[in-house]
Amino acid sequence: MRKPDPTTRIAITGAGIICSIGRNKDEVWASIAESRAGIAELKAFPGETFPTDIAAEAVAELPISRREAKRLSRTDLLAIIAAKEALEQANGAPTERAIVSTGTSTGGLLEGEEYYFGRMTRGRRRAPASRVLQQPTSAPSDAVARVFNLGGGVISNATACASAGAAIGMAADFLRAGHADVALAGGSDALCRLTYSGFNVLQAVDPEPCSPFGAARKGITLGEGAGYLVLERWDDAVARGATILAELRGYGASCDAHHPTAPIEDGRGAEAAMRDALRESGVTTVDYVNAHGTGTLLNDSAETKAIIAAVGNGVPVSSSKSYFGHTLGASGAVEAVVTVLALQHQIAPPTLRLETAADDCPLDYIPHIPRPMAMEDVLSNTFGFGGSNVSLAFRRVQGL
Amino acid sequence: MTRIPITGIGVIAPGATGVEAFRAQLASGTTAVATVERFDTAGLSAHKAALVTGFKPRDFINPMKMRRMNALSRLGVAAAKLAIEDCGGTLDPATGVAIGTAFGPVQTSVEYMQEYVAKGAALAPPQLFAESVANAPGSHIAIEWGLRGFNITITQRESSTMAAAMLAATQLLKGAVSSALIGGVDEANEMLFSVLDRIGALAHANGAVDEAARPFDRRRNGIVLGEAGAVLVAGGGTRKPYGWLSGFGMTRDTTASISDWGSGHDTVVTAMRAAIDDAGLTLADIDAVYASANGSLRGDALEQRALESLFGERIPPVVATKGIFGEYAAGGALQLAAALLALDEQRLHASPGFEEGDLPVTRETREMALRHVLVNTLSAGGGVVCAVVSREGE
Repeated sequence: MRKPDPTTRIAITGAGIICSIGRNKDEVWASIAESRAGIAELKAFPGETFPTDIAAEAVAELPISRREAKRLSRTDLLAIIAAKEALEQANGAPTERAIVSTGTSTGGLLEGEEYYFGRMTRGRRRAPASRVLQQPTSAPSDAVARVFNLGGGVISNATACASAGAAIGMAADFLRAGHADVALAGGSDALCRLTYSGFNVLQAVDPEPCSPFGAARKGITLGEGAGYLVLERWDDAVARGATILAELRGYGASCDAHHPTAPIEDGRGAEAAMRDALRESGVTTVDYVNAHGTGTLLNDSAETKAIIAAVGNGVPVSSSKSYFGHTLGASGAVEAVVTVLALQHQIAPPTLRLETAADDCPLDYIPHIPRPMAMEDVLSNTFGFGGSNVSLAFRRVQGL
Repeated sequence: MTRIPITGIGVIAPGATGVEAFRAQLASGTTAVATVERFDTAGLSAHKAALVTGFKPRDFINPMKMRRMNALSRLGVAAAKLAIEDCGGTLDPATGVAIGTAFGPVQTSVEYMQEYVAKGAALAPPQLFAESVANAPGSHIAIEWGLRGFNITITQRESSTMAAAMLAATQLLKGAVSSALIGGVDEANEMLFSVLDRIGALAHANGAVDEAARPFDRRRNGIVLGEAGAVLVAGGGTRKPYGWLSGFGMTRDTTASISDWGSGHDTVVTAMRAAIDDAGLTLADIDAVYASANGSLRGDALEQRALESLFGERIPPVVATKGIFGEYAAGGALQLAAALLALDEQRLHASPGFEEGDLPVTRETREMALRHVLVNTLSAGGGVVCAVVSREGE
C-alpha cells in the first residue's frame, strides 16, 4: 500500500462558504470585518416551543433548478452552494479524479423528521417516503459529487461536530498517498428540530447570543452552514498555474476517551490533536488559533488549557462561532474557510460580545473587532461529541 | 509496513456470535435470512431479514454502562470486546477507531422524535439525543478501552466500513497510530425495513420466485436487510494475522443517481485496478473476489459487467456473502471479515442464494490456495471502494 508521502505539500486552491453571515466568501468576510453577527430569532420551526429561541440561520438560495432541488435536503443544498464557490475558484483543477470528503452530523434529518411526523399521524403506508430518502448522512457527498460530476470517490464523515475537520485532514492524506488527485473536502449541516431540541435538553444552549470564553457564557448558539476547500498536491497546483490560497500543513486527531458528550476537563485530548498538527506542520508554535470556542462552560475552559499547554499563553485566539453560531458537523469546514480568509487578509477575526473573559479563560481572545496582524502559521480547532478532536494547521502563502 | 495485519476479529452477526461461530456459519453454506418476528411486516411486500438473535449485551457490557447505549453502540462495543480478546494482546492507548455504518442510529432518532411529540421539545430525553449521533458506537468503544487515537465514523451506505478501513489504513501507514479498530455497525429496524420495502428495494415473492437473497442470480429482485456489529484489530495484537490489508482503490460512478447504482462499470473497474495496483499486484495474482453483490438489479449488474470487463475470460471464483447475512451487515464489515477468514482457512465460502447466473459464483464451500482476495463494495449513490487482502505480510 502506498504510504502518505510526508514531503508532499497540500495546496488550497479553492474555498467556498455559506452560513448566517454570508452566502459566499466576500459576504462572510465583509460581515467579519464589520463585526456583524448573524444571530437572530429562530424562524425555521414556527409553532414549535423550545426553551431558547435564537439561532444563526443561513439564507440559502437554490443553486440548481427547483426540479433537481426537490430531491435534495437542505444540508445537500448548503453543501452544493459552498462546493460551487470552491470549485469555481479552483477553476481548472482536474476534477475527474476528485474525491468528495464531507463531514455532516445530521445529513437530511430535517427532511427525515417530516417523514417521522407523517408516520405518527398518517401511518407508515401514507407518510412521505421521498423525504426520508434524503436523510442519510451519505447524501451530501453523493449530491455534490453528482451535481459537479466528480468521479474520484465519496467519503461521508459523520463524527458529530468533529466531522468536517476530519474530512479535510484525512482527504489531505489521501492526496499524499496518491489515492486521488484533487479533494473537495468540507462539511455541511442544516438546523433541524432534533438538534435544536437536543442541545436544549442538554442545557447546552445560551438563551442569548453565545459569548465564547466570556464570564457570563451559558452555552452555544445553534447555527447551520457549509464550507469546502479544494485541496491539491502543491506541485500539481503550481504546474497548472493555480492560485494557491494557503497551505494545509498539518492534521492532528485524537479522542478524549472520556465521556459521550462532555470534553475532558483538562483538555488533554485537544492538546494532543494540536500537538500532532504542529508536529506534522513542522512548527512548535503558531501566530493565531481559530478556536472551537463553543461558548459552553466545559469546552472553553478545557480548550484554553489545551492551547496553553500546546502553544503557550501568548497566542491570540478567537471563536468565529460568536458570528455564526455552532454549525455542528460543518463547523470544521466553515471555520477552516474563515481561517484561510484570515491568513489571506492578515486580519484575525475577533470574538464578539466578549465583555469580560472568564477567570478560567486567561488568553487574548481578540475581543469585539478584527485585528490586523502578521500571521504565518495558524491552527483551526474542531471538537465533537464522543470526545473526538481535530486540529488543522494552515500556513500563509507568501506574495498574495 | 506496507501491509497491515488483521489480528483480531469480533463478530455479532445474524446466527453467529464470535469469530468461531461466524467461521462455522460461513463454512456451513447456509443463510441466516429468516422470517422477521421482531417487528410487524403486515402489508409489506417483504417479510424476511437477517437479524441478530440470541445476542445478550449483558454478557459483554457492564449493565450500568449498557443503559447509556443504544442498540448500535451495544453491537459495536460487544464486537470490539470480542476482537480485542481475539487479538491476544492489549492495545496501545493511541489506537485509532474507524467505524462504518450505513444508516447510523435511525431508530434512536425516531424514538427521540416520538418523545419530542409526546412530551414537547423541551422534555425529550437527553440520553436519546446523546445516542442519536452516528459516532456514538465509536465513542463508547474509545471510552471502554481508553483509546485516544483518531476516532471517526464513516457513513457511505454499502461502502461505509470499507471506506473507514481505507482511511484507517492511510493513518496507520502515515504513522499517526500504531494500531486501529476498524469495524461497522448496523441495525435492521422497522422504519428502515418499511422504507426500503416501500421503494421496492427489498427482495420479495412475486409468483415466479419466493422471497430470498439472490446475489448475482438472474432471478434476483432486491436486497435482504441485514444487521450486525463487527470489529477488526489492525496493526496491533499478538495473534497470527488472519490476513493483511494490502491495497485500496476508490472511485465514484458518475452515472449514479443519489440513491441508486449507475451503469458506469468502467469506474468500478478503475477502483478494482487501483486496489490491485496499490497492493503491488497484477490481475493474475487475484485468486478470488468477495463481491459487493446484494441481489439488487442494478448493483449486481454493474458489478458483473465490471468483473467481466476487468478479468475477461479468466474471472476468478466469486463469493457473494450477502446471501448469508444480508445487506448493511455492519456497514460491509462482515464481508471483509469473511474474506480474511477465507485467507486464514484457505477455503472459499459458498454463496447461498445463487443458482442461475453467468459469473463463476461459488455454490459450495471448498478448499483453495488463496494468496490475494479482491473485496468489492459498490454503494447506491455511486461510491466504490475496493480492497485487496492478502495471506502474507510481504
